[in-house]
Amino acid sequence: MIALVRLLVFGFLALSVVYVCLSLYSRSVRRGKLEAEWDEEIKDGDRDAFVKEGMLEYDGSLRRKLILGVYVIPISIISFIIYATNFM
Amino acid sequence: MGYIKWVFWITFWVLVASFFHYTLPQHDVARVSDTYEKRIDFGANSIFWAAADVGNAATTANHDVFFIQTRLTNDQVMVYRNEDTGWGWPPYFKFDTSNLQAEASDLKSGADAPQWVVIKHYGWRNEFMSIFPNAVSVRAVDDPNVRIIPWLNIGILIFFFAFVWAVWVRWRRFREARIDPVLEDAGDSIANTSDGVKKWFGSWRK
Repeated sequence: MIALVRLLVFGFLALSVVYVCLSLYSRSVRRGKLEAEWDEEIKDGDRDAFVKEGMLEYDGSLRRKLILGVYVIPISIISFIIYATNFM
Repeated sequence: MGYIKWVFWITFWVLVASFFHYTLPQHDVARVSDTYEKRIDFGANSIFWAAADVGNAATTANHDVFFIQTRLTNDQVMVYRNEDTGWGWPPYFKFDTSNLQAEASDLKSGADAPQWVVIKHYGWRNEFMSIFPNAVSVRAVDDPNVRIIPWLNIGILIFFFAFVWAVWVRWRRFREARIDPVLEDAGDSIANTSDGVKKWFGSWRK
C-alpha cells in the first residue's frame, strides 16, 4: 500500500509541475499571437483590451482544457498496462 | 581534457544502455521444465529483487519467491524469478504472480514432447550475484522459431532518442548563442598571457 501511495503522491506532484509549466507556456503563446495579430492587422483601438478579450476567450476554450490530458494520458496508459499485464 | 570527456560520456551511455537492457521487456522461447519456490534472504543483491507481493507486509527481512526453470531453444538452461512488481519500478504493474506461476506449471513439458512457450521477462541472470530475470507472462507457441518483433521497445527507444536529440539541439543552439561568445571574449583578453589557457577554453567549445 505504501508503494501505491508513493506512486500517487509523486506522480501527482510531477504531473502538476508539467501541467503548470505547460499551461503557462500555452498562455504566453496565445498572448504573443494576439499581440502579433493586433500589431500586424488591426493596429486600431485599445491593444490591451483586445489582448485581454482574446485571453478571456482562451480561458473558456477547449484548447486550454486539453492540457488536462497531462493527467489523463498517464492514468490511461497505467490502466492499460495493468489490464495488459494481469488480465490479457 | 579530451580523455575525461570521453570517459564521462562512454560511462554515461553504458549506464543508459544497461538501464534499458535491464528494464525493457524481452522474449525468450523456452520449455518449462519445472517450477518451484524458495525462501530468499536478500543481501547485497536486494536491489535486483522485488518487494513482497502487493498487500503483504513490506517490512519482513525475507520472503518466499516463485521460480520458473526452463531450457531455452539453444539448449541452455535459464531460471526466472516470478515476483510482483506492484506499483513500483519497473512499471510493469504486475500483480498476478500466483496466476502466472499456475500458468507456467500448467505448461511444464519434458524433452521428448516439448511444449514451447514464449516467456516475456525483464532483468538479468547473473550467477555471481544470484539474480534472476523476472518473468512477466508466458504463452504457449507451436513453433520454437516464432518471430517476435519488439514493437514496444522500438517505440520507447525511438521516443527516448527523439527526446535526447531535441534536448541536445536546443543545448547546442543555446551554447552557440550565449556561452561561446562569452568564452571567446574571455579567451581573447587572456590570450596574451597564456596560450595554454586559450587552448583549454577551446577544448570546451568543440
